[in-house]
Amino acid sequence: MNTIRFERRATSDARRSAAFRVLGAVAGILVAGLVLLITSRNPFTLLGDAFDANFGSQRGLEETAIYATPILLNGLAVALSLRMKIWNIGADGQFLMGAWAATGVGIHWAGPDPLVLLVMALVGAAAGAAWILIPALARAYWGVNEIITTLLLNFVALQLVLWATLGFWRDTKSAVVQSAPPVSANLPVFPGLDFLHIGFIAPLVLTAVLWWVFRSSTWGFEIDTIGGNPRAAAFAGINVPVRIVLVMLCTGAIAGLSGMIHLSGYAFRLNGGISTNYGLSGFIVAALAGGSFIGLLVGGLFIASMLHAGITLQAKGLSTYIILAIYGAILLGIAIGEVAARYRMVRERYDPATEAVR
Amino acid sequence: MNAEAPGAQNAVEASGITKSFGGALALDGVDLTLAWGEVHALLGENGAGKTTLSNIIAGIYRADAGRVVVDGVEHQFRNPAQAIAAGIGMVHQHFRLVAPMSVAENLHLGSPQTPRLVTEKILVARARALMDELGLHVDPTAKIWQLSVGEQQRVEILRVLSRGARVLILDEPTAVLTAQEAHDLFGVMRQLVAAGRTVVFISHKLNEVLEVSDRITVLRGGRHVVTRDTAGATARGLARLMTGEERELDVTHRRIDGSAVLTLAGVSARNSRGLIALSQCDLVVRGGEIVGVAGVSGNGQTELAEVITGLRPLEGGTITVDGTDLTNASARQIAAAGVGHIPEDRIGVGMVSSAPVKDNAVLRHYRTDELSAGKQLKRTAVVRFAERLVAAARVQTRSVHTPAGQMSGGNQQRLVAHREALVGRRLLIAAHPTRGLDVLATQEVQSALIARRDDGAGVLLISDDLDEVLLMSDRIAVMYEGRIMGMFDRGDADRARIGLLMGGHAEEAFAP
Repeated sequence: MNTIRFERRATSDARRSAAFRVLGAVAGILVAGLVLLITSRNPFTLLGDAFDANFGSQRGLEETAIYATPILLNGLAVALSLRMKIWNIGADGQFLMGAWAATGVGIHWAGPDPLVLLVMALVGAAAGAAWILIPALARAYWGVNEIITTLLLNFVALQLVLWATLGFWRDTKSAVVQSAPPVSANLPVFPGLDFLHIGFIAPLVLTAVLWWVFRSSTWGFEIDTIGGNPRAAAFAGINVPVRIVLVMLCTGAIAGLSGMIHLSGYAFRLNGGISTNYGLSGFIVAALAGGSFIGLLVGGLFIASMLHAGITLQAKGLSTYIILAIYGAILLGIAIGEVAARYRMVRERYDPATEAVR
Repeated sequence: MNAEAPGAQNAVEASGITKSFGGALALDGVDLTLAWGEVHALLGENGAGKTTLSNIIAGIYRADAGRVVVDGVEHQFRNPAQAIAAGIGMVHQHFRLVAPMSVAENLHLGSPQTPRLVTEKILVARARALMDELGLHVDPTAKIWQLSVGEQQRVEILRVLSRGARVLILDEPTAVLTAQEAHDLFGVMRQLVAAGRTVVFISHKLNEVLEVSDRITVLRGGRHVVTRDTAGATARGLARLMTGEERELDVTHRRIDGSAVLTLAGVSARNSRGLIALSQCDLVVRGGEIVGVAGVSGNGQTELAEVITGLRPLEGGTITVDGTDLTNASARQIAAAGVGHIPEDRIGVGMVSSAPVKDNAVLRHYRTDELSAGKQLKRTAVVRFAERLVAAARVQTRSVHTPAGQMSGGNQQRLVAHREALVGRRLLIAAHPTRGLDVLATQEVQSALIARRDDGAGVLLISDDLDEVLLMSDRIAVMYEGRIMGMFDRGDADRARIGLLMGGHAEEAFAP
């Protein structure tokens, strides 16, 4: 008789962990395909369509990259705080406030484009940082749980945006309702491309910077130490509360910048729906990447391509609910893969004679 | 549920038990025979194989080779349930109780004998009956979290016995107990063997083993050294068998008139609950001497170490290191002045368990020119530094890249102690540095402190073990309720007077 036991592995291996996540995604796609088969659709055609939507044309690739930009930036914001074991659930709110503040600059000032964009970026980042200031201080000095404070501020940010777009910044000149007027300066498109704005560079550069910081700087070392054991960090002479505030402000600034880039590169005008859950998507990517910035880059591009493919499939008549269910299956597969990589199966043989003792 | 009258057979006969973990041999052909109605001590250093052997007998691990005979029948246990069915139960160092539930509920949790339909009343009545039968009492309605550690341990023992265990294995049961609780536990152990049961007492504390056991088996490095009657055994002889070598720490004490490294003047501070923990403390440590701080735990010793190392703000007074005023300086400034600190909670405060050994090795030095240039860490230098420290501290780890938490507790302690000795060029604060260590490791740490002193650094040794303070110190300070009650040169120190001062009896201590 055989039994199978799961045993926790003594060591973790980044490559094994990555491979299991890919396997998990594939398993999720298989499950989704099975569901599609049962509902008498052809999963192969749909998979082909999804693939074609992303990689079949230059336009598809560019659109995927446009979606990936805010997802990656918000994901980087969350991942940075996660290195300190702090959960910034408020990337959506900081994104909105970044877009909101950048709109304030962009609709009231029509200077030279580069200058306007630079000021918009600075103001957007500052607004994102300001939006997390109170949660950061409360967490660092009074131990207030940042998950709740950052989450709740998302709703406040959304109301502020709605108030502005329905009220004092409402565009009265055009037919677009519930929206602010377009900003005066837009991010330029990459030379030679049709849609993709240069804001796509931001997450790539930031990923590289953060990767370096956590690989070979004392700053990253200190943040990881705080994440591992705050008491040991204080013991080593690190000023823990100040670091918590600074890192949380950085994450807010990244999310705020993300809002500004999305506004000036793609949406062009502020409205209540400017963030279609980019904060949440970024959060999912960061959580699945488990603190790895390279993993985040791969995961962010993958989720963006899923979202983009979803829109194409919707156009082909697949219901939104089925698309959401497919996302869910794939993400769940990745999450299971991540955990499964930490265990191994042990097969045990034993003879019934010993069992009889029982 | 009286234990059955034992036959002529032994309770347990284990022979040729061999077990390895990932290539490391933990047990090498060990024999162990337990008679009915005895307290059998299993004695050995950390890593000698005591716990592994017990875990095999209790069905938690499976041996690679060897046989276990219980009451004349050979068994191959696959899990603890099978062992308990054969009458063998184990109480672990970490209790497996559900804190929000009552004692009666915990006793019945997961037990096959629990009736299907129960009320709180039935459970309490059944628990009372069990306690009366065994002569072991804990309030059955109390919640686990309301109980002291000693009482929780008693619940664990009751739980194991209620499953029908006739051989009870206690894994280092006194490690978590106060002296009084340990004494009560010994009473329980005697009571159990008087009823014909067998108790296995795992420990590395020689005095306890001599006090409570009938027979002793010594293990060393995974091998069986000897099994003998306790009568006639001496602590010194057993220590030699455990460590395999006779080493007596020889400390020469001295009087130093050199300049002060550390000066505390009128230092006061509050504890984490805002209560006064230190009041008006004056203390001087000179280079080349060990000053011992004697006192019962919780009389301000922890706070004393924390104010000196910059982890706790002062309410009043001044702290000077080598003539520089470091009152309320940051932990980093104080470390830079050459003050190292082996903290009381070495693993909870002194280490990041999830981080690799190398990061823990450089935790106090990563900002030095050797290890970083500006904000950039020199990654190869970090690895070299860590490898050097690991070699010097004789830390056993697969590599400096493995998480520190995967090393054994003794190795973690050695890593922290040696790292802090490097920081403490001028002054080393050692808070309970040998707590939880076995004989050999204790001597290692004590020799390291003496070596530091002989290099000219001052050492402030905080310990609640008066023997250790008397052995190590050149001068002794006694703390009671946040005050320094007295200061003695080693030569004038008198155990009785120090004991009185530790209890707060100042007048009697100084009466002629």
